[in-house]
Amino acid sequence: METRRSIPTAVVTGAALFFLFAPLIFVVMFSFHSTTSLTLPFEGFSLRWYREVVDDESVRRGLLTSLRVATLTAAVTFVLGTAAAYGVSRSTSRLTGPAAALFVAPIAMPALILGVSLLSFFSERDVSLSTTTVVIAHTVFVMPIFYVVAYTALSRIEEAQLEAAADLGATPWYRFRHVVFRQVLPVLAAGAALTFIISFDEFIITFFVIGNDSTLPMVIFSRLRRTIDPSINAISSMLLFVNLFVWLIAVIFTVRAEGRRRRDVARQIEDL
Amino acid sequence: MSDGTLLSLQGVTHRYGDTEVLTDLNLDVMDGEFLTFLGPSGCGKTTTLRAVAGFLTPSEGRVVLDGKEITTVPPYRRPVNMVFQQSTLFPHLDVGRNVAFGLRVAKTPKPEIRSRVAEVLALVRLEGFESRRPSELSGGQRQRVNLARALVNRPRVLLLDEPLSALDLKIRLEMEAELRRLHHELGSTFIYVTHDQREALALSDRIAVFNKGRMIQLGDAESIYREPSSDFAASFVGDANVFKIEIVSTGDDHVVTAEGLRLPVAEPGESLGPHHLIVRPEDIRFGPRGGSLEAEVSDSAFRGSAHTYRAACAALDAVVKAEIPDELGSADVGDVVTITWNPDRARLLPNTG
Repeated sequence: METRRSIPTAVVTGAALFFLFAPLIFVVMFSFHSTTSLTLPFEGFSLRWYREVVDDESVRRGLLTSLRVATLTAAVTFVLGTAAAYGVSRSTSRLTGPAAALFVAPIAMPALILGVSLLSFFSERDVSLSTTTVVIAHTVFVMPIFYVVAYTALSRIEEAQLEAAADLGATPWYRFRHVVFRQVLPVLAAGAALTFIISFDEFIITFFVIGNDSTLPMVIFSRLRRTIDPSINAISSMLLFVNLFVWLIAVIFTVRAEGRRRRDVARQIEDL
Repeated sequence: MSDGTLLSLQGVTHRYGDTEVLTDLNLDVMDGEFLTFLGPSGCGKTTTLRAVAGFLTPSEGRVVLDGKEITTVPPYRRPVNMVFQQSTLFPHLDVGRNVAFGLRVAKTPKPEIRSRVAEVLALVRLEGFESRRPSELSGGQRQRVNLARALVNRPRVLLLDEPLSALDLKIRLEMEAELRRLHHELGSTFIYVTHDQREALALSDRIAVFNKGRMIQLGDAESIYREPSSDFAASFVGDANVFKIEIVSTGDDHVVTAEGLRLPVAEPGESLGPHHLIVRPEDIRFGPRGGSLEAEVSDSAFRGSAHTYRAACAALDAVVKAEIPDELGSADVGDVVTITWNPDRARLLPNTG
């Protein structure tokens, strides 16, 4: 099909990109501002807000808490999600379909509802709120996303490959470790990175189930209520950089995994 | 075992739900033989192979290997290895590691792994391919690696599930020769599954013909071809003319049909009634017109050293297929000829259908 340049399309696309990225650019730009002003004109470059933020004890503690929660969430999700997706991808039972739908269903649940219901769940059972309850809550929240990613990769592994491995003497566990896991690891790593990012800057659910600690997004929120100065921008920019970094790793993993798969498929098609 | 039986299938029946795909199979596989399961798709041949490999437990019956029952032993504890229809090489491992897979699982010492991998790659004529990726290989090379990966474990039985069916004809013929050579050099037991009768005849010591979940005939290639036990076996293994006739009387060297035709047969037997008369195309000859079996040639195709013909014969109510060497003369489309055949090669079977 022939594509033609269209001015309305260009305008809409340009506007969409502007509204998506301009706020981000402004946040980053004013995090380097030398004065307390958050509006143009830009009066000079400085790292003072970063210094202030890094020197702030509450921010440092919030960052560490967020890193710990996100790491644990990603790890727990990785293990449970991989196990669930592998089980579903290899099952031939008729009940698997409905069961698998339940794994994905929470994706439609608003964070607010999830937060409230988890809070009442924990308090009913006298579970004291802590970062542990946050990890549990985050795991519930990000599981569907990880599950979908993992299932897609795992279901691509042909049953015949597993049969071949079994035929060569591999027990079920050996098959999983040396045939399945090794092939899907890049995709699973990308999925884990994604869950890390989501957990790292999650606010609503955290707010309900955290107790006395504070994660970085909560520190930002409480500072916002006191003052608005470029230190907020500095924190947000750091959050953004962490996310970008993790996201980049995820992209590299996926692109490499996908590239290898494409080459194999192309080769097979060539042979036919 | 003393009688040379390596593997024995005893009363093996398999059902998926209500569908019976394999019925009461009894079969002894001899140590060192090349046995082929031949039949159309859905005939039970692959089911049987999978029961031997351990991928399914038959609904009834026993699988015995080396005198030990292995019916419910999982595939990873059976001393048999399989080559699949499609390549099942592990894409994340190079050729060397693919071939070494079974040995590593068995915790074979590293130096031994290296030498056995090199040895088996040489056997399938892929010396020095250890560090190639499966994606860098051609289809034929890949199937050789699959073969090497199975053979390196020195299986008691090598199972081959239509391993050549995804390959080009030229490479297929090469690989057939390779398989014959490998079987000869290794002297181990091969069970080969195919729907290609040409492959079966070319490779096997013995052929088991399957149809609709039953083994309908077992024998060497020549006896399957010359003495088919049914019209199905006759037309599935090689090409065949199957004439439906009603025998009303028999003579020393012929039978007489309800239409009064006198058909030459070396061993007419005594049985009367509906029969199949089976004659291979290469045993058909054309005589000059005027006999009782006149036919009009409707098709003629050149096949190198011979022509194949189709000729409509009203008396037999059939289109007769014939393959006649060129030195015995030729016919053109539209010619009227008389069908004759070598009575020794005509086989008579009761028509029970």
